Amino acid sequence: MARFIIARLGHAIPLLIGVIVVIFCVLQMVPGDPVQAIIGQFPVPPAYRASIEERFHLNDPLYIRLFQYFVNLAQGDLGYSFRAQRPVLDLIVERAPRTLLLAASGYAVGIVVGIMIGVQSAVTNHRSVDRFWNALVLVGYAMPTFWIGQLLVIVFAMNLGWLPTQGMAPLIDRSTGFAWVLDRMRYLALPMTTYAIYEATRVARLIRTSVIGTLGQGYIVTARQKGLSRREIIQGHVIRNSILPVVTAMGYSFGTAMGGAVLIESVFSWPGVGSLLIESIRLRDNQTIVGVVLFVAVCVILMNLIVDILYSWLDPRIRLAR
Amino acid sequence: MTVGVETREVTAAPTWIRSLWTGFRALMRTGAGRTGVIIITALALVSWFAPWIAPNGPIELADKSLLPPSRLHLMGTDNVGHDLFSVVLYGGRASLAIGFYAAAIAFLLGGTIGALAGYLRGPVEAVLMRIAELFQTLPVIVVVLFVVAMLGSSFWLLIGAVAVAIWPLEARIVYGQFVVLKEREFVAAAQAAGLSTSHIILREILPNALPPVIAQVALDAGLATLIAAGLGFLGLSDPSIPSWGEILNRGQSYLDNAWWMSVFPGAAICITVLGLNLLADGLNEIFDPRSSSGTRLQS
Repeated sequence: MARFIIARLGHAIPLLIGVIVVIFCVLQMVPGDPVQAIIGQFPVPPAYRASIEERFHLNDPLYIRLFQYFVNLAQGDLGYSFRAQRPVLDLIVERAPRTLLLAASGYAVGIVVGIMIGVQSAVTNHRSVDRFWNALVLVGYAMPTFWIGQLLVIVFAMNLGWLPTQGMAPLIDRSTGFAWVLDRMRYLALPMTTYAIYEATRVARLIRTSVIGTLGQGYIVTARQKGLSRREIIQGHVIRNSILPVVTAMGYSFGTAMGGAVLIESVFSWPGVGSLLIESIRLRDNQTIVGVVLFVAVCVILMNLIVDILYSWLDPRIRLAR
Repeated sequence: MTVGVETREVTAAPTWIRSLWTGFRALMRTGAGRTGVIIITALALVSWFAPWIAPNGPIELADKSLLPPSRLHLMGTDNVGHDLFSVVLYGGRASLAIGFYAAAIAFLLGGTIGALAGYLRGPVEAVLMRIAELFQTLPVIVVVLFVVAMLGSSFWLLIGAVAVAIWPLEARIVYGQFVVLKEREFVAAAQAAGLSTSHIILREILPNALPPVIAQVALDAGLATLIAAGLGFLGLSDPSIPSWGEILNRGQSYLDNAWWMSVFPGAAICITVLGLNLLADGLNEIFDPRSSSGTRLQS
């Protein structure tokens, strides 16, 4: 097991280094003044300009600059946001749990709904049921997430007036205890539903293909010949064997959720990492942009590593195969 | 069905048009493929002929702002007073062009890298496929946002950014095809005949590797359309070119009193992506019939 973890780390660390090198290269390609490229379009006093030049070794050759870039990151220095007047790392740490809340709840609901639709669509004996779910999933799959969000706002917030349109909490908030939780859930409902619809369509497509593949396996024929009921075959053999590859795929993609929710966060002004990225792009706060991109990369790589290790622990064949 | 590919192998080179036609007919026999072709052709024609179909120009003020859909303005008017139907028609040009060009560039870039990695193997394979993995680490939207934020958001830069974000998808498929096909007899025969590496890659392996790649290109064109619309929605696309995402961005401020500003351009994006996905499904169906075989569990 230890050897497996070391091997996976040996894969993950070069990947992270690669991402940092690519980001560094893009920063070198930004036209104009390199100091402005690093901090964004803010007025820079001469003393601060000198300190930036020194910290990033801007007057040195490229390889020294790259090395210094790594040294700064290794010290946990993601830079300083001029817009917020705070270190970038602080901004990200403050917002990450909010994105995690949105993504995790959306993921959980989306996976459950997606599995139910996908399995139903694959095992049903009625072609019309399969066609109905298939059509619905195809349309859902093609809808831009921000448009789903806008439609939900039009119906549930504007027309019916059931739920708030944006934000994470009311401006003046005096509720406590259970009322506080309920209040937060009202704000979470629409962004979470948007995320869940997006995930459910992906899961349903994957699981339908997976179940159809499982249905063609020899052991299903054997189970049928053994005289097991339809329900027993579906619950005991089909779903169990079809879910693992899908859950693995979802596990890998969860890492991208930290950055992938940009558009949903933007529709609902959900103050997460994605909104931070968009605000920084609009205000040309380059240090924050780079910080968020790096943070998302770390999340993805870390999540993949965790999924790899978990699965090798659950299923030793994976460990032995590598 | 590999009808198209087999015909090409057996008969002389100029018959590629005939095999293309055979492939197209096979595609039109699948339900998904036929619907996809009809949707995409209709959208392309409508966008292309926008100047003749649209009642107004894309930046021409037509009437009062925020008028609901009526016989005069089929989709209503936007917050400025443009006829929304006209803007949506013209917006289709940019949206379809971005999807098409980005997928084409990603195909050329990813296809070349995937082909080289799959054919040459060894250290070239290790380096190229690690680079592909590197680009797949970040979500596509984050890669595009980063490039656009740092380098600007002109029309061609946006296409380049989307292509850079999606090429690894193409590279992986081409790579997988090349790894398998390289071991086949016809490649050994071509090598024994002393044909050059470029000839073997381009003339021998590539035509046989293409079918699943074409399906991926259609899917990627859909993805590129979604990403481009997302950028427009965030207000980061080229402001001088009308696009569906850009209308949705403005519509966000009028969700309470002008639902048509969101519903119609969003539906246009959805229909385009749906058409491309159906096209990809149809292509997958003819190239790999197993993918759609509905093995059913009888009770």
